[in-house]
Formats: sequence, C-alpha cells, structure tokens
Amino acid sequence: MKGSFWGKKLVVDLSKGTCTTEDLPEYLAENYLGQKGLGARIIMEDVPTDTDPLSPENELVFSTGVMTGTIVSCSAKLAISAKSPLTGTITDGSVGGHAGAELKYAGYDAVVIKGRAPELSYLYISPDKCEIKASPELKGLGTFETDDRIRKAEEDEEIKVLAIGPAGENQVLYACVSSERYRQLGRGGIGTVFGNKNLKAVAVRGWLGVQVPDVQKCMETAAHYHKADGIIDKEYEIYDDGTPMLVNLSQESGLLPTRNFQEGTYEHYEKINSESLKEVRQNKKACFSCGIACGNYVVDGDARVEGPEYETIALLGSSIDNPDRAKLIELNAVCDDLGLDTISAGGVIAYMMEMTEKGKHDFGIRFGETDKALELVRKITYREGIGDEAAGGSKRLAEKYGGAEFAIQVKGQELPGYDPRGSWAMGIAFATAPRGGCHMSAYPIELEAWGTLDPFTFEGKAKLVADMQNAQFAKFSMGVCDFWPVESETLAKLFEVTYGGDWTAAKVDKAGERIFNIQRMYNIMVGFEGREDTLPQRFFKEILKDGPPKDHPMTEDAFNATMQEYYTYRGWDKEGRPTIERLEELEVEPELIDRYRAVTGL
Amino acid sequence: MPLKFHLKDCTGCQLCQLACSAAHEGEFNPVKARLRITHDYRENNIYIHATRCTFCKICENVCPVGAISNNGKWMIVDHNKCIGCGTCEQNCPTGVIYLNDNKKSIICDLCEGEPKCVEWCPKDVISYVEPKKKGAKK
Repeated sequence: MKGSFWGKKLVVDLSKGTCTTEDLPEYLAENYLGQKGLGARIIMEDVPTDTDPLSPENELVFSTGVMTGTIVSCSAKLAISAKSPLTGTITDGSVGGHAGAELKYAGYDAVVIKGRAPELSYLYISPDKCEIKASPELKGLGTFETDDRIRKAEEDEEIKVLAIGPAGENQVLYACVSSERYRQLGRGGIGTVFGNKNLKAVAVRGWLGVQVPDVQKCMETAAHYHKADGIIDKEYEIYDDGTPMLVNLSQESGLLPTRNFQEGTYEHYEKINSESLKEVRQNKKACFSCGIACGNYVVDGDARVEGPEYETIALLGSSIDNPDRAKLIELNAVCDDLGLDTISAGGVIAYMMEMTEKGKHDFGIRFGETDKALELVRKITYREGIGDEAAGGSKRLAEKYGGAEFAIQVKGQELPGYDPRGSWAMGIAFATAPRGGCHMSAYPIELEAWGTLDPFTFEGKAKLVADMQNAQFAKFSMGVCDFWPVESETLAKLFEVTYGGDWTAAKVDKAGERIFNIQRMYNIMVGFEGREDTLPQRFFKEILKDGPPKDHPMTEDAFNATMQEYYTYRGWDKEGRPTIERLEELEVEPELIDRYRAVTGL
Repeated sequence: MPLKFHLKDCTGCQLCQLACSAAHEGEFNPVKARLRITHDYRENNIYIHATRCTFCKICENVCPVGAISNNGKWMIVDHNKCIGCGTCEQNCPTGVIYLNDNKKSIICDLCEGEPKCVEWCPKDVISYVEPKKKGAKK
C-alpha cells in the first residue's frame, strides 16, 4: 500500500467459483497509473492475443485510479478492460456514477474476472466478502430492474451495481454495462463479455477509507486546481448545459452527423439541442466527487432519461433523421435499459436506413422512421429476424449485404458524433484509436473546428494528435473525467498528493505514451495492420455540401501521407508497428517486449 | 437547524462528505462523514436526500453517562466520558450519529463554526446559520 493505492487486486474465477486477493506491485501504479493503463497492462499479461473474446479465457479487468475515492473532482470513474468482441482489439470503457469510488472503498485497485459461471450469476464485492451468487431470476431483466432487485436482495440501498440487460445476455456485440440506470460504460462490447461469462451484474459496497500522504495538503491542492481551472464555477458550460451544448457547435462547424454522415448539418437541430432539452430538464446530477455535475435529468411526456448525451443525440437523432425530442429520450432510455451502446446502435440503424434508401438492400427501415428504429433496437436485443445479424454491428452487416461505404466504422466500431471532414485531425484520432472508432483517444476538434487551428489541413496534425493522445491516456489512466480540461502538470501535482513521490508533466505524458503503445502492441500481436488505420471511404470520396467543410475535399492520399508522418513521430515503422527501440525508450518491461518480438519478428 | 440545504441545487456529488471525513478522520471515506447525501429515482425525477444533525439534542438527553453536551451552537462529545454504548446512535432521529473504530460517538460539531461541508459544496447548496439567541427578535 502506498498513498491512495491499496496495492491489491481481487481475482475472481467464475468457472471455479473462487475469489483470491493478490498484491499489485507499486511499479504498476507508477508506470501505468491506474484505470485505463492498469487495465491494459493486466490484459496484456493475462489474455493471450489469440484469445477468442467470447470465451472463458477473456477477462474483464475493473480498475480504479489513485485519485478515485479522494476529494479530487471528476476522479471517481471506473474502467473496465477486455479483448473486444466487436473489434478484436484490446478495449476499455469507463463509467461515471458511484461504482468506481465504491470499489476503491471496498479495498481494491482492480478486480480481474475470468472464466464463465455455470449459470447466470452476479458478483458481490465488499471489504469482507466476495460472493458469486447464482441469480437465474434476473435472466432477461433490464438494467434498471436488475439494479433495483440486487439492492433489495442485499437489503442495502447504498450498493452500487453495474449490470447488463438482455442485449449483453444475448451477446449483441455492442452491449453496454449500465450503472445506477443512466451511467453507461458503452463501447466495444464490454457488456457482451459480461454476458458471455454468465455475469449479470457486479454489486459493490465499500467502507474502507482512502489514505493519502498528507490529507490537508491534498485538500488544499485539489481546491486550488478546482478553482484555478474553473470547473466548479456555476457558469462552466459543462454544468450549465452538459454535453448537449455540442449540438450547436457541431451544426455551426458542419460536422453534425446527419442521415448517416451524408450531411454535416441538420435542418431540425434546434429540436434536439441543449436549449430544447433544457425546456424539459428536471434536475442536474453529478457523479461521485464531481464538482461539475454534467448530468441532466429530463422528462418529456412519458419519456425520461438522465441524458441524452451529445453522442446519443447525434447518432440516434440527426444521423437517423429523428427530430423528435421525446422519442430521442425514449430511445436513449430503452437502450440504457436493454443494455445497448447508443453510438453503435445508432450507427447500425443508420447504415440499414441508407442501404434501404439507396436500394442496395431492403432492411425495411428508412431515415426518419423512428418508431421502426425503436422496434429495431428491440429486435437487435432479442436477436429477432434481421436484428440477429444487426447485433453483429455495421461492419459485419456490410460484409454480407455490401455497402461498406455506408458502414461508418473504424476497425468494426461505429464512429461517434463528429464528421471528420469538418475536423481533419479528428479523422487521425478515429483511425488510430486503439479501440477503433472512438472520440476519447484525442479530441482535437476543440482546437480545430471549435478553436483557432485550420480544420481543413493535415499540416502539423500528426504530431498534434499523437501528443493529445498521450496526454489523454495519462489523464484517463489517472481516472480524471474528460470534462476537466486538465493540464499534465496539474495531473502530476494531483498524483503527488494522492499517491506520493515526485511527478512532472513529462513523466505523466511519458506514462500516457507507454500506455498507448501497450495497447498498440496488443493490437499488432492480434494481427492488426497499419492499413486498418483508416476511415470509411465516404469521407474521402464525398464532399460535404453545407457548412464550413463544403469546399474542402479530404483526400485519401493526403490522409495516408499523414498516417506515415504519424507513425514516424510515434517511433513506429512504416506498417505502424512500434519499434523495439521506441518501446525500450518508453521503458516497457523487457518480458512484454520479448513477447511482442516473438510474434512480430521485429 | 444550523446546516441549511437548498436541495433543489444539490447534484449529489458528495464532496461535502469527503471534506467532512478528511477534516475529522484524516481519510476520504463517506461512511465516516457526519452528514450523508443519497439519491433515488422515482416516477418523474431524481430525489436527493441530505441527512445531517438537526441540533435536536435528543442524543444529549439520552446519553446515560452525560458525555454529550452543546454550546448553543453545536453538539460536543466528551470522548473521555463516552462508553460506546450506542444509545445516542440508536436514538438519533436522522441516523447520522455513528460510533468510530474506537467505539466513540461521532456527532457533527459544525467544524466548530467553520463547516468544511459548506466550504466545499461546489453549488452553494449548504449554508451555516447560527442559531438565534433566546429572546432575539426576528
């Protein structure tokens, strides 16, 4: 134990029905920080790269950060890592709410879940218990009711539950994990892996205090940066609006995905933007220890949800031509309850709509048919009719039915709500994110489309994206939420007052780069090649007709040249493989490099 | 009630609990805080609840060894006298009193007039109002 790091992981083998506690050495906290990094490092060590993601050999790694459970704002997230059944890459997601802090108070930095339970079960974790509880009665239940039933069964309202719905049980490849109803760990099919393990839920309760080297100093430092960075101001727009504020920005920048990324502006955007949602907002809601409180609880007629977040508005709103606020809210809540990632679900539905409209294949659903979209979401969840194939995601659908140009995905994961033609660096980020189509590896859009950099050039963007990714990976490994736009120097100071030791911005960024490279190594060992670091052809072949991007064709040649520049800057070879020299410079452990060398022959 | 909550603005972040446990117990631990924020979803909204000392003084009246007193503003527990019987905990109408690891009663003392929960609340939900003196006119 050092500072806020327990130095403990819980290893649960669902096949054997055992729970054991193992030590986590301090060097893991110092080199991989926590959350995303710690999870990636454990997957790297435990899960061979040729593992079938839907087999008992895959693992779910829950990980917290050194700031989780402390008074540092925005730090209570929980990461879950696995090999993704959707993409085949290493993946991780993070979820807010209270579960991450609760796990920390239960006395663990990480929980590793392996094997497969003989029947549907949930796992209960507390400081003095680890129990795998057979729960056939929860079969088929939505995430909301599962959460309620487990708290009731355990006779403890304060238990925090992470649950899957029927989508996860039925192995929909983009099933999510829901916590406290409306907090989702959405991407990459982490919920699918839960289902494959017959794991309906994980319930956590903790009461152990988190220690830091000097509690007074920790409080003073945290208070200082909360104030200096303005995150607890009531005027901070993430509090005032939450993520729906991005709708207007995307619309103005011409990159709001509309009708499956055919257009970048939506004529009905005002019906689903922040101003519209505020009309039906009942309350604000924060995650544990978060001074911002981005959550919006909205009620429109019979529809209610804590949300919808921007990505959901883009993918289940403008991208499927759904301008109906109440139906958007309903779709959001239904996906949360059934346990479906709203981004991938929206991407799949939009693909099917465009295929039908373009006469490529009649999936029986067209743009604007939101009621049918609601029905399709249920069919996907229960694998009924075409829903059975749609449960595999847009890439697999396109392999069977054609129309690859309408499957807006990278490495099999559907893209979030930003058209890269309106912010070219975002395209580099999408193409190189280790978990496939994802907006979390870097967010250069705020500097380009919403900032002062030219969004329509690749000049200088390879370096920009790589640097941002390194910083983001460090930030998410320390467990700080994206909504705190925090400098690496601040992270270094916060690491010092929670974990201890001497930290600098350079050390933080280097850890971030190490973690990024660990994930890349894993994917290369899986068999991914540089040519898969690309974007759907639509973005190279079609020019947006409205808004700022309209006169700016993004060519594939320019994009590919930028990828080479990106590889060079990262110290990777022409095929996008990290070189041994670079990995050694990053101080990746020799045994990991040996394994990588054996597979790649580098 | 010395600690006033404008619950409509409470987001349920529980920073107040973290500040409380850190200030008094030297660790971050919401279950060791002297106030408690919970939430639940019912029908049409999120409901946020704040449990805190209301200065009702029942604990003082039921303590069998006279370990609990007040100074007109907050409660005071004499840990030398406290025998850890838990009578105060059992009789506290809000359920906010607990016994610490050494079996001593823990009751909110308003940080002796400068409550950390008030200081740390990011949305100014909590305010500290000094009780009016007897006979003072409104």
